[in-house]
Amino acid sequence: MSVQSPKQSLRTEVARLVRLWVLLLLVGAVEFGASFLPLGHLGRPLIMIPAIAMIGLVAFGFMNVTKGPVIVRTFAVAALFWLLILLALGSVDPLTRVNYTVPTPDQR
Amino acid sequence: MTAGSGLPHEFQYADASHQANTAIAGMWLFLATEVLLFGGLILCWIYSRHWNPVGFDAGARQTALWIGTLNTALLITSSFLYALGVAFMRVGNARALIHCLVLTLMLALAFLVLKFGLEYRDDFARHLFPTATRFALTGAEAAGGRLFFIFYFLGTGLHGIHMLVGMGLLVWIIRRARRGEFSPQYYTPVEVVGLYWSFVDLVWLTLYPLIYLVGRG
Amino acid sequence: MNSTAADTDIAVPRGQTEGSYLTDGYSVRSWLLSTDHKRIAMLYLASITFFFFIGGAAAALVRLNLIVPEGLLGSAEAYNRLFTMHGVIMVWFFLVPAVPVTLGNFMIPLMLGARDLAFPRLNLLSWYLFMAGGVVTLWALFSGGLDTGWTFYTPLSTAYAKGHVVMAVVGIFISGFSSIATGLNFIVTIHQLRAPGLTWYRLPVFIWSMYSLSVLLVLATPVLAITLVLLAFERLFHIGIFDPAIGGDPLLFQHLFWFYSHPAVYMMILPGFGVVSEIIPAFARKSLFGYKFVVWASVSIAVISFFVWGHHMYVAGTSLYSALLFSILSYLVAVPSAIKVFNWLGTLHKGYISFDAPMLYALGFVGLFTIGGLTGLWVAALAADVHLTQTYFVVAHFHYIMVGAMVSAFFGGLHYWWPKITGRMYPEMWARIAALIMFIGFNLTFFPQFILGYLGMPRRYFSYPPEFQVLNVLSSAGATILAAAYLLPLGYLVWSLLYGDKAPANPWRATGLEWKTPSPPPTVNFLVTPVVTTGPYEYPPPERTSG
Repeated sequence: MSVQSPKQSLRTEVARLVRLWVLLLLVGAVEFGASFLPLGHLGRPLIMIPAIAMIGLVAFGFMNVTKGPVIVRTFAVAALFWLLILLALGSVDPLTRVNYTVPTPDQR
Repeated sequence: MTAGSGLPHEFQYADASHQANTAIAGMWLFLATEVLLFGGLILCWIYSRHWNPVGFDAGARQTALWIGTLNTALLITSSFLYALGVAFMRVGNARALIHCLVLTLMLALAFLVLKFGLEYRDDFARHLFPTATRFALTGAEAAGGRLFFIFYFLGTGLHGIHMLVGMGLLVWIIRRARRGEFSPQYYTPVEVVGLYWSFVDLVWLTLYPLIYLVGRG
Repeated sequence: MNSTAADTDIAVPRGQTEGSYLTDGYSVRSWLLSTDHKRIAMLYLASITFFFFIGGAAAALVRLNLIVPEGLLGSAEAYNRLFTMHGVIMVWFFLVPAVPVTLGNFMIPLMLGARDLAFPRLNLLSWYLFMAGGVVTLWALFSGGLDTGWTFYTPLSTAYAKGHVVMAVVGIFISGFSSIATGLNFIVTIHQLRAPGLTWYRLPVFIWSMYSLSVLLVLATPVLAITLVLLAFERLFHIGIFDPAIGGDPLLFQHLFWFYSHPAVYMMILPGFGVVSEIIPAFARKSLFGYKFVVWASVSIAVISFFVWGHHMYVAGTSLYSALLFSILSYLVAVPSAIKVFNWLGTLHKGYISFDAPMLYALGFVGLFTIGGLTGLWVAALAADVHLTQTYFVVAHFHYIMVGAMVSAFFGGLHYWWPKITGRMYPEMWARIAALIMFIGFNLTFFPQFILGYLGMPRRYFSYPPEFQVLNVLSSAGATILAAAYLLPLGYLVWSLLYGDKAPANPWRATGLEWKTPSPPPTVNFLVTPVVTTGPYEYPPPERTSG
């Protein structure tokens, strides 16, 4: 950053935060609108895409994950990696298993 | 953050800047553990929806979309306000920090009132708690619907507890700021609590579509 | 500067004669409110010793029951509660904490040249959380207990179990936060508080092991936490996410449970790897063979251990493809462990070996861990596991690792660092006798169980067909010998506190920053922060002449 007075750097920072806020609300609106699209049962989880974008905006914009010490990035990546392992490897079983269902008491 | 020469620090650190970076690293690591905590719940969502596609989504359609959406906007704004407060603190404006944090606190309170005062009350009135004998959904939708609401109450309940803790931390930071304990050279607790607060926002940003939007097709 | 320490290397100012962390305050308050990592380690040592003997008593009763085919205690219900108590206490209140909270807490700052951990107050909170969890769990176990086994499978635990399921689960939940806090503290400390010159590749393997273990603690334990919450909800409300009556999946519980519990078993053994990697170079007077291999093997184990949990569920009803995938991954996780065994052997080769008690325990570790690890490969094979699962083969497999290897490593580390921690030498002859008795007693207890399992005796059964009696009696006899081997150190170690020889700063002439402080260390560990210029394990070549 070039030599800015504290007041100027505050102004740029506030402007950046306001832009982020507006962007978040906009993406949120897109996500909300997308929920009315006919995506089908398997396609519905695609609504998580704008959600992930919003998560990224908060993590990079408000939490400054790339601006702190380096290990912060390592911790964040590790958290995501292990979350993915849990969800992906954990899903292999239901996705490949044949479940023989029994009528529930409500259905009988 | 400026180098901490001359600033007080705990004895096991080289200087204040070292301690500050360590505190921030520690909070991020704690947030990583929270990701896995909620991750387990998300696996439950995946399983429950996979095995009960009809009922699970039927349950989702019973949620109060407008409250969920409004709450999402409130939390996003609260994260923005907190970050704004930190920006003011960086130039030494503790009063503006306090104002921002008080506003954050008020938005959080509004969230909780909407969620627990309005939405939960409505859910119970409409027999949506999963143990209800006259559960709102019947027939083929009942099983999946109950599963959905188990996920819903546990997820939002757990998130709510985290918000309460966050509000306690906000009050703590506000009090310390009012006592003049922060300066442009030292505001690490403000940053650390801000990380936690934004994380609680992140959790909601994940729960919101899983609860209110995915099943609504 | 040669890192084999002579007394001139000690960083203590001239003129200071008295004063260590032990003498820095004598009140109960100064111990219970201490944020000194060394005192907290001692608080933990007392706690885990207490839990060890309770879990051991439960095991003794289990083995007592099994000396006659119809079950000596006469009650299946009582037997189920006993093995549950044994498992719950030993897993969460002894094995997972043991080395990290005692030896880890004590040694990590010393080995790093630091004055304390990154978050000393969090460390004290960890101990209180551990004790709170322990009290609640003991209350549950002693007010009637529960019969679900330490694995709490649904729907038994949620719907049909008699006993204090929720209370036990709450106790374990609380102790989980203690684990997370400890792991977080260790990771941040190892990143941030290394002395100048102490680069990552100059760290002792014990530190790398503690780091790897801490990754497991912080990432796996939260999943246990949410699983226990889900379990408690279902038990309390009689409806839940695992309930098949509403379309829930009981296997989901097992997936979530083992996602934590498999890394948990690596949490239990990684510290053992670390301890043994310190002891063997010291008593072979030789640098650790293949340091970088050992280091990256530890890290790989930490990572891959998260990918293999499904091998506990081959016959539970998961899909064949899922089981196949987990089986392949389970074979993969054995590779880094094997690498380490070869490296320890390589360290011993052409070393100048002395058979002090720590080395006896370490050697026992290497042998017993190899047997335990290899038998793990047998049960990792799908076809073999169909027959071996839920039999005593599996029981023997994991006890070889957890008791044969890990408890040996704990005792080895305790003896190795005892002079540093207490400032006293333990009696060497008694220690060697105890190590030998432990080795014999252990093998007599658990080797017959491999045979029993192979012959088909199921686990968690209070009675068995008469043809298995001889092996069961042998096993129970071994257990009494093992009990003696555990009581002996309790005796002579306490004796040494009062009457043992005063220990020098570096009685083993070992490398490592912890040996550069007095025994026992002063509260601030180092008055002058050490600067590190050498690698770990730089032992001089063996002397050709004596002296």
